[in-house]
Amino acid sequence: MENFDYKINDTQKLGLEIIKEASFDDRLMTLSVGPQHPGSGHFRFVIKIDGDYIVFCDPDPGYVHRGEEKMAEYRTYIQNIPHLERPVIHDSTNITYSYSLAVEELLGIAVPRRGQFIRAIASEFNRQIYTLYWLAIYGIFLGHSTMFMWPAGDRELFIDLMEALTGARVTHAFNIPGGVRNDIPNGFKERCLRQVSYFEKRLNEYEDIFYNNPLFRQRTEKVGILTKEDAIKLGVTGSVLRASGIPYDIRKVEPYDVYDEIDFKVQYLKTCDSFARSYVPFLDMKESCYIIKQLLDKMPESGDVRTKLQSNVKGQSGESYKRVESGRGALGYYVVSDGSPKPYRVKISVGSFRNILALPHLLVGSKLGDMPAIYWSLNYWPVEADR
Amino acid sequence: MISKISENLDKWNSRQFITTLNDDNISQNKKSDNLKKFPKEISSIVGDSKIQTSKTESSLLFENSVIFKISSKFDSKIVVEFVKPSRIKIRVDPANIIEIAKFLNHELGFDHAESVTGTDYPKDNQIEVIYHLGSYLRDDLAHLVLSLTTRTDRDEARLPSLLPVYGSVEYHEREIFEMLGVYFDGHPRNERFLLPEDWADIPPLRKEFHIKGR
Amino acid sequence: MVTVPKKFGFGSFVSSILWLVFWIVVIVTLVGLPLIFIILFYVPLPYIGDEVLTPYLFFSMMVDPTRTIPIIKFLIHTDIFRVMVFPGFGYAAIIAAVTIFVERKFLAKMQLRVGPYYVGRWEGILQLMADGLKLISKEIIVPSGADKLLFWLAPVLFVATAAAVTALIPVAPGGWVVADIDVGLIAVFAILGFFPLIALLFSWASNSKYPFIGGLRALHQMVAFEIPFILSALSVVLVAGTLNLTEIVESQYLYWFIIIAPISAFVFYISSLAELERIPFDLPEAESEIVAGWITETSGMLYGLIQLGTYLKLYALAALFVILFLGGWTGPQIFPEEIIPGYTGEKIYNHIVINGIFWFTLKTFGMIILFLLPRGISPRIRIDILLHTGWYKLIVLCFINIFAVLTLIYGGIIPTGGILQ
Repeated sequence: MENFDYKINDTQKLGLEIIKEASFDDRLMTLSVGPQHPGSGHFRFVIKIDGDYIVFCDPDPGYVHRGEEKMAEYRTYIQNIPHLERPVIHDSTNITYSYSLAVEELLGIAVPRRGQFIRAIASEFNRQIYTLYWLAIYGIFLGHSTMFMWPAGDRELFIDLMEALTGARVTHAFNIPGGVRNDIPNGFKERCLRQVSYFEKRLNEYEDIFYNNPLFRQRTEKVGILTKEDAIKLGVTGSVLRASGIPYDIRKVEPYDVYDEIDFKVQYLKTCDSFARSYVPFLDMKESCYIIKQLLDKMPESGDVRTKLQSNVKGQSGESYKRVESGRGALGYYVVSDGSPKPYRVKISVGSFRNILALPHLLVGSKLGDMPAIYWSLNYWPVEADR
Repeated sequence: MISKISENLDKWNSRQFITTLNDDNISQNKKSDNLKKFPKEISSIVGDSKIQTSKTESSLLFENSVIFKISSKFDSKIVVEFVKPSRIKIRVDPANIIEIAKFLNHELGFDHAESVTGTDYPKDNQIEVIYHLGSYLRDDLAHLVLSLTTRTDRDEARLPSLLPVYGSVEYHEREIFEMLGVYFDGHPRNERFLLPEDWADIPPLRKEFHIKGR
Repeated sequence: MVTVPKKFGFGSFVSSILWLVFWIVVIVTLVGLPLIFIILFYVPLPYIGDEVLTPYLFFSMMVDPTRTIPIIKFLIHTDIFRVMVFPGFGYAAIIAAVTIFVERKFLAKMQLRVGPYYVGRWEGILQLMADGLKLISKEIIVPSGADKLLFWLAPVLFVATAAAVTALIPVAPGGWVVADIDVGLIAVFAILGFFPLIALLFSWASNSKYPFIGGLRALHQMVAFEIPFILSALSVVLVAGTLNLTEIVESQYLYWFIIIAPISAFVFYISSLAELERIPFDLPEAESEIVAGWITETSGMLYGLIQLGTYLKLYALAALFVILFLGGWTGPQIFPEEIIPGYTGEKIYNHIVINGIFWFTLKTFGMIILFLLPRGISPRIRIDILLHTGWYKLIVLCFINIFAVLTLIYGGIIPTGGILQ
């Protein structure tokens, strides 16, 4: 056999070259994940896979872009509220909270103390509602259908409370510049304490069935590691940042309204992986229950809940940038006023839009099976990112 | 954290001229030639520091100490638009922005950009781009948001990208490119991001673009 | 075109009925009766007991219903009955249907919700029927560039293969099995090996990316889990000394094999979950990763067929577990010898067979519930962990149990070559 003279003619050479080039392309398969993919939401990212490994990722948001910022320039300060909460209807109190803070600064008005407390209570409820919804989807993304149903059911506890408080189940339009729309109903405090203490018991059950599940741990631990340096470089926020070992919470570093009187800890983990990113919101929920109890305790018994504004109130010319801690991290509003009843420019700086920058960073090099575990651990809400 | 603040305060107290920094005059004195093209009326729209009433001027010590650090290095290159509690806005020339951003990132510790906002000012024929910078690592800076502002001509909107300095501005700058038509030199992908693929109109956040029926 | 009904008149109503009766009489006389005579002339009539089943005897059953018993007995001992009704396809399909309903209600109770509730009078009992009707009425979309023949054939093959597995399952003593073959166990594994092949063929035929990944995953999963699956049955075969499923059950009259092969039973359970593509091993259909895996492009009744096949397979594997480890139909005799006290006529029922069917069905349902349980408590596993589990852990566990059984046999503690000898 050694004497066998193996020659390649020109045609074969060409063929081999073609195969060489083609086989390189054939190794990669391009998948368009979303917007009809069950694992993406209103969002699309194009990935290329080599076998089971993702080698390329390009996020493509914009499927639910509604031009909220442009719309806000055409409406007065008060008219803006119902449509500005649309990007995150589950977290609508928080997304109008920072808008109200920014507009209050521009209009130069102060919020009564009781109004500040009710605002804080409503925003904590909404944090719970959002985080439960997020957790439900994280459960179903990992194939855990019970973890989809339980949080989706327990969400009703807080939705009912919000309904009693504001009159609407999901889109409340509750925060307005100058305070909140209405006072709390009778017997609200007792009902609230009862439901929150029940919910705290349920949280322990979540931990048993989901977070302590060995299969869940296998899928998320040491998966999608976002180191502290990368987290800072990519400018992520909220639970993603806190899971990378940075205790940064707007409620703590720049307390707004009454949060400087509340005693709570910033929840953070140092493992930097998907598990940490999924566990930090859960710890936040626990802490939030504690905050709600304190808020109810410290709330003044009576008083105004809002400062009355004139119709078509005009702001002084100037600009304001205010942030709150929403369910997905820092949520800032940059409002510019030129002295007219309508804002000159409204920019919504949302946590989702900042967190999604970490998606290509984390997905490239990981396995296809880790895709849902990484993607949804980024605490990303597509509608909010698109605005 | 407290020790750092007091350290900064001590530094600040040793300086005389910062007490006058809140006046708008000081910024005019510092104006260099390349900033002269910015019209004076801007300060009537933006940069009014009268709004903040809750805190007195003496509580702005820390903010002013930060400004002092910047202005001691880039004396004539920056214009301080306003100082408010936890908020500073400085305006720079596009030519200097990368240099100043590098200084802010590496020396002062503003390690990330929270958001990048573009605002259209047709009156001045300019587009303003604001980088809201913050700090995760330094506790004393955590509450502070520094707005690094620059302006570009509306008709030929071009700015240097801050992507080499702040990795987090990648998508924000892409968004400004499509929403306001500002081309970022050095950004690898000045392309469509949020708008529909078949968008064939002027950038929608410019003021001459109007919503239908309004 | 709209047909306007004529105004109702009683006279025309009666005349129309008479007209109908006239035509029926004419057709029966001219066509029906000659046909019956021709059939009776050429076809030999079956013997029921000692009598020939003449038309006279047939009609006399209306007077004395007990005379139908021999006919029913004759019918249920034909091969066609075994294949179609019991213990073949019909029995398996009914269990599959009940399984679907039980799964939905059971999961709903675990997840603090109600489950199907409105279709049917009681607790949404007819939900499955409504779903089936919906699937039948749906359009079947064939993707462009699909291999049409394979695309249509694969779901049918899937159901056929699942039904073939159920044909090998003995459900009661006295030969209540469709195909009682000596290499029954090997035949079961051989037929089960077709499923990933069908999945791969179908995924290839649908000319789409997600099904392709799903098909490859199914193949990986099968290769990783087929070996521990077969090895786990080996320790049972060593004790029983036979591959015939009926004899394996009969050899468990003293004790169930789960007592001496618990590790094998565990491995069998885990591998069955993987074979069934159920959570936590539903990687070929992982929806958040690859949409619906290899069944992404199915629509309408093609999807319905694959679901039917999946649940038939679930029944078959649960039954196999019962046969290998839980003693099949063995159980205490709870049915009396006669169902009506003091009845002395033709023997209506065989109390031993009924008892066997009862215990077999009960155990099988228990196993099915166990197969359904992980869906409520467990997330999906990742493919590399799955392969690692299959190759490294389960095979080792199988060998541990095989060596334990061999030690017991050669130590003389349990008889060599099975208990039957």
